[in-house]
Amino acid sequence: MDRRYFLKQSALFSIGGLLIPSAIVGACRKEILLEDINFDGKVIIIGAGAAGLYAAYLLKSKGIKFQLIEASANYGGRLGKLTGFANFPIDLGAQWMHGKNNIFSDFITKSDTKISLDDSDLKYWFNNQLVNKLPKNTDIFEGDDLPDISYEDYALQKGFGNEYKYIIENIAGDQGADASQLSVYGNNKDEENWNSGDDDYKFQETYFDLIDKQIATQVKDEIVLNTIVSKIDYSQSSIEITDSNNNVYSADKVIITVPIPILKSGDIQFIPALPTEKTSAFSKIGMGAGMKVFLKFSNKFFDQNIIGGTICAAYADDSIGKVQDDNILLAFVMGEQAEYLSALGSDAAITNALIQELDTMYNGQATASFIASHVEDWTTNPFVKGAYSYSTIGMGNARFIAAKSINKKLYFAGEAMNLNGHHQTVQGAVETGYREVINLLEDLAK
Amino acid sequence: MKVIIVIIVLFFLHLNSIAQEVKIDASYNYLFANQWDKAIQTYNFSRPFNYEKQPLLMHGLTTSGTYISKSSKRLKHGINLSYSYFRSSSENENLDVKLHLNFLKLAYLLHYEYKEKLKNMYTDIIFSATTSALVRNVNGKPFTYDEEKSKAYGIGGDISVKMGYFMKFKNKVGLSPFVLIACTPYFYSPNTEAVINQTKGLASKSSTAIFSAQMGMAFHIK
Repeated sequence: MDRRYFLKQSALFSIGGLLIPSAIVGACRKEILLEDINFDGKVIIIGAGAAGLYAAYLLKSKGIKFQLIEASANYGGRLGKLTGFANFPIDLGAQWMHGKNNIFSDFITKSDTKISLDDSDLKYWFNNQLVNKLPKNTDIFEGDDLPDISYEDYALQKGFGNEYKYIIENIAGDQGADASQLSVYGNNKDEENWNSGDDDYKFQETYFDLIDKQIATQVKDEIVLNTIVSKIDYSQSSIEITDSNNNVYSADKVIITVPIPILKSGDIQFIPALPTEKTSAFSKIGMGAGMKVFLKFSNKFFDQNIIGGTICAAYADDSIGKVQDDNILLAFVMGEQAEYLSALGSDAAITNALIQELDTMYNGQATASFIASHVEDWTTNPFVKGAYSYSTIGMGNARFIAAKSINKKLYFAGEAMNLNGHHQTVQGAVETGYREVINLLEDLAK
Repeated sequence: MKVIIVIIVLFFLHLNSIAQEVKIDASYNYLFANQWDKAIQTYNFSRPFNYEKQPLLMHGLTTSGTYISKSSKRLKHGINLSYSYFRSSSENENLDVKLHLNFLKLAYLLHYEYKEKLKNMYTDIIFSATTSALVRNVNGKPFTYDEEKSKAYGIGGDISVKMGYFMKFKNKVGLSPFVLIACTPYFYSPNTEAVINQTKGLASKSSTAIFSAQMGMAFHIK
């Protein structure tokens, strides 16, 4: 074989054997998932929180007909905004963006949304005094071979006595739970999957503003507010959704994004009934009580964060990260403390209990400088009934079962259905919104 | 430090003394990693606000160096070190995202030279240990969180077959056009989706199979 012949052959071989297959394979490799999907049916999304809004946003981008049905008078779910109370906007619900490596970083960069790292100082209310440091390190809930017992029991096992009770309650409260209910094993597994980063960020405006301006604005026209879904009949090919006023909505697919207590409590009747395995999974996913109380004072006598109160285990200076600086102290009340305050029955009684505790901590300065309060009790909100989901003792794979679609008709999203360790967060809710749109479209493609 | 330099110099002197052939090559590299495609496809699906979509990690460049040991037999063996670079770039209003994927491979190879009619043709069968590093740049800067760059490392092993034709130009110098096909059945890079799609376990698995095809030119010193 001469050189010229070989070069000719090798050129042909290269083009035929390498470039053409590469070009063909390359052309088959689409840049977007489910790019060619066509669906002329209708999707109804129940719940206009972060998951529902994002699912709607994606359906709109794919040109698919949809409608969002929301029980309350506002969209946003557990995100909300209060104006007029302080000289900066206040987050009534989700407030911190936990970690920066999540879908919102692109939104934030693109829209030049102002965020700042919350690295505010901590003080502890320990043995009836404010201290900068605890005698013992409470970082005991991460590691290998942790038992499936409660935070409370595990802390006791590790020698953290009653003096640490509300410190431990604060740690569990961060996860939306009572220390007696949160699983050490389960929560540690969740933490292992977490990949957003550990830093917490605050919005110069509010978290609600980000969702409102970047996502909700795209789908506002298709949101039906004040519509409480009472029944979902998926026994026929067309799914019929009935609201509390007996209005009926029809859809080919339904994405259910309501908070887990709504599914647990049977507020929505399913026809046929959901499989027992599914309802059992719902019941295993925890969701504790949660309340945010904003206390306005004439001067800033308080520290940036106060951990370990017996009435509220976590207070935080709400002006951190804001341009203006009214003296607003947030009482972030979770679990049994939120249940206790909620049971007091009035905003005045709740405020009074918190002011008394702050007076104890700061020698009566709270009463002396108190101006006003705003109580946002998420537990008594009939369309939420709590804070956010957590992993209970013995929960196993309940989230996986709970999140499974049914008969390629009903799809489940929302923070509690997040399987990547991002439940409890807005980014986690959004992930389930787009995950279920993908699942729905993939089912259509099969 | 002096000891290390002395060891490196001695190592290269040793290689030079035992080498029958040294090759340096450059090639176009076509990459296909199913799970990484899924992560990018899901990224594009979930960010409809991006007008320009993130291209798949598909086209790259590779350069490598090979030592082939002295032997009178047709089948020789050697070592190879290669570096590959792939980039995916999308430019949108206020959001330019670039993915930079780097591979480094250290390989043992079997080199076979044909005879008679196929004289000057050669085939390399290459067994590589492969590492990768993927980083994401946003608006010209590395994307960081918790004060660290967002990055994903990977590790795996692959087998490649390379075929080329040697053309002698001078006494000891020549060129060879070549094609190479490589397969990595299992490449473990658990953080890749966290870099590309900023989540984990939603769109893709922690490992992927990788196929690649290269076409290029090698410079030989015999």
